[in-house]
Amino acid sequence: MRANVETVRALVRRAMNEITRVPGAAIPGVLAPTIFFLGLTAVFGNLTLLPGFDSESYQSFLVPVSMMQGAAFTGAATGVNLARDIEAGWFDRLLSSPAPRPVLLAGLVLSASLRSLIPATFLLIVALAVGAHWPGLLGLIVAYAVTMMMAVVAATWGTSLALKFRTQSAAPLMQVGMLLLVLTTTAYAPLDLLSGWLQEVARVNPVTQVVEAARQGFVGDVTWADTWPGLLALAGLAAVFTFFALRGMRRMTIN
Amino acid sequence: MIERLVANARVVAALGARSVKQTARRPQLAAPLVIFPTALLAIQTGGAGRAVDLPEFPPVESFLAFMLAGAMVQSVMLAGNSGGIALALDIEMGFTDRLFAAPISRFGVVLGRLAGTAALGAMIALWFVAIGLIFGVEFEEGVAGVLWIVVLVSASSLAFGGIGAAIALKSGKASVVQGLFPLVFVILFLSTAFFPANLMLEPAASVAEYNPLSFIVEGIREPIVAEFQLADQLEAVAAILGIGLFGIALSWVALRARARTGG
Amino acid sequence: MPAIKTERLAREFAGGITAVDGIDLEVAAGEIYGFLGPNGAGKTTTVRMLTTLLLPTGGSATVAGHDVASEAPAVRRKIGVALQEAALDPLMTGRELIQLQATLHGLPRARGRELGDALLQRVGLTLAADRRVGTYSGGMRRRLDLAAALVPSPEVLFLDEPTTGLDPVSRGAIWEEVEKLNSEGTTVFLTTQYLEEADQLADRVGIISAGRLVAEGTPAALKAEVGRPHLELSLADGEVDGEQCESILSRFGRPLPPRDGLHLVELERGASEVGAVVRALDEAGLAVESLDLVEPTLDDVFVAKTGQHLEGADEQADGESPP
Repeated sequence: MRANVETVRALVRRAMNEITRVPGAAIPGVLAPTIFFLGLTAVFGNLTLLPGFDSESYQSFLVPVSMMQGAAFTGAATGVNLARDIEAGWFDRLLSSPAPRPVLLAGLVLSASLRSLIPATFLLIVALAVGAHWPGLLGLIVAYAVTMMMAVVAATWGTSLALKFRTQSAAPLMQVGMLLLVLTTTAYAPLDLLSGWLQEVARVNPVTQVVEAARQGFVGDVTWADTWPGLLALAGLAAVFTFFALRGMRRMTIN
Repeated sequence: MIERLVANARVVAALGARSVKQTARRPQLAAPLVIFPTALLAIQTGGAGRAVDLPEFPPVESFLAFMLAGAMVQSVMLAGNSGGIALALDIEMGFTDRLFAAPISRFGVVLGRLAGTAALGAMIALWFVAIGLIFGVEFEEGVAGVLWIVVLVSASSLAFGGIGAAIALKSGKASVVQGLFPLVFVILFLSTAFFPANLMLEPAASVAEYNPLSFIVEGIREPIVAEFQLADQLEAVAAILGIGLFGIALSWVALRARARTGG
Repeated sequence: MPAIKTERLAREFAGGITAVDGIDLEVAAGEIYGFLGPNGAGKTTTVRMLTTLLLPTGGSATVAGHDVASEAPAVRRKIGVALQEAALDPLMTGRELIQLQATLHGLPRARGRELGDALLQRVGLTLAADRRVGTYSGGMRRRLDLAAALVPSPEVLFLDEPTTGLDPVSRGAIWEEVEKLNSEGTTVFLTTQYLEEADQLADRVGIISAGRLVAEGTPAALKAEVGRPHLELSLADGEVDGEQCESILSRFGRPLPPRDGLHLVELERGASEVGAVVRALDEAGLAVESLDLVEPTLDDVFVAKTGQHLEGADEQADGESPP
């Protein structure tokens, strides 16, 4: 057991090398969610004028979405890195060792949760500077927790794709897939103000619960009732993608 | 001198025709450039669509009709960026050396490639027109409007392709061109691609009013939602020409520098 | 108990490609087994099956007493693996890689540190240990890969083309290390496309071509199967003494047609006869100007079994190249 924990730690530390040892590598990932946040709020900011929009600050409304976006990209990057490692033969080193497969997977995806903190924090600072509401300590904790878990979900998604396609050219699928999942929610507007098909999709999309959970502190109070659906959604998505990722690892020896 | 010009023109035309044919034969290459903006179009229409209910929103039939132009411009900007990446990769791998060593004008080579990008622009325009028609958008200026849209979008594609190529030639590295990808979105956000300027927040709203990209978007948008206004169309053409000339000038300088340093 | 045993081991890929077509081989504990064959013959696929990275589609294999398909984790605990692509992370230091490998094998961190010092010293990378792998030369990377493979003190060491692309000095260093390891009791399974490597290092050689084992045995036995060494010599006074030389040489074996002023004889009883030949010529008063002992090579063995050359196949007269 101790050995497994050590393995996870070692793999997480290795994943952090990308940020700590390659100057500037992290910058695009850190800046992108913030750039989109500023752009989207500038463009769509006045949607709050619509009757039925229960928040007068579009910045506050959108911050959690951008945090999820950052988490999605961070997770996708994990998948891209794995695809690169598979192509380079590094993954063989891990697969030919006695470390159990679930432990390897944990080591691969948990680093995403740590890495997601960087763009999320940068975004928060900028968002607060342009007028987003301070979410309160509890709201902040919930938002961060949801972000970190979303990053893990995105990382397991990316990992499944990497194991299936084994090539870095699957990168766009990893990124866009997660992005669409995050945007087909109450990302731009509350559920009632969404039009047509998007309203239906957002209604059933589990990530809507995740966005709403992260949004709580920014637009109102934090309650357990608004939090647990998001956590459940995250757990469910993580379980599904973990299943595919582990299956993908097993399939690596088959062909 | 004239003979050389004619010879070059023939070569450019030949390369251009080849480039157009290549693009037309492989529409699946256009797919990633079009799919993402289409998905975004669908999402933003669904997400922000009620904005048309706002009193200050310009008179349009639907948010989709409004956004179509923005989606087209987004697509061709991405096309210009990805064309630049492709050229930069070719330079990095030395493929362009083969072309450049041939007795044809280097500039002609680049121009020829750009013809393919223009063809791509036409395909993109037609795609979004089709999307619009399928989802019930009425084009106020009818067939003439659609044709003009195709012209404008193809020309824009050429212009953005020129910028992409210029950056590729100057830097010679795909990673540099790739790094400008977020810039595409920044410029789009600071224009009227997705929302009318009068409803945007400052300071973006002010930037959007003077952003040449806004002129281009408005020029494309007009035949969809309203009637042709000469002034607006002239502004659009001028903006496209301006960007195009800028790209050409930059490419020219970069090519000459490359020839001098043997890169 | 053999260190490695395969029974009709086979691997087919999607699209009907048979990379490995039923291989039976056995490697005794403490042996160095050389798996020799041209590119694309199925060497790497075989190694991947034996190291549990790929499941066989036919037949079976046991490594260190465990079945590779049903007892894969047990196999992984007992093997060390250095694959063709030196699977290294350029951002890590050499020491960190050894540490990671130790962790993957469930060794406590202190032990990982100890191993790091010991193994890095063993392969001569102590000075570079704390530099990033990205700064290492090709030879250094191979040595690090070898050190990492030794972390679990493996019973069986798998080396897939360990010296491909290395300069002769680095190659020699790896050979030395492999021999030292073997003398300490480690079984070594190494694949190579270099016949010199198989010849020098291996106790036994298996020659693989198009997924099949076409020959197996000690290098000497394989070569003897194909032919005997022959002597090429030239006399100081070739024209005068030619005939007499031929008659003396014929006592030692079958004379071969002379060529370019050289007398050739196939040595009936092998290379050990060289001394006797020289003495005989000397006693007859014939002065020898040059003498060359030409042994059959493993390439000759390969040609005999497959009709193609192992190395430099594009230089073949008929222009055929191996698959």
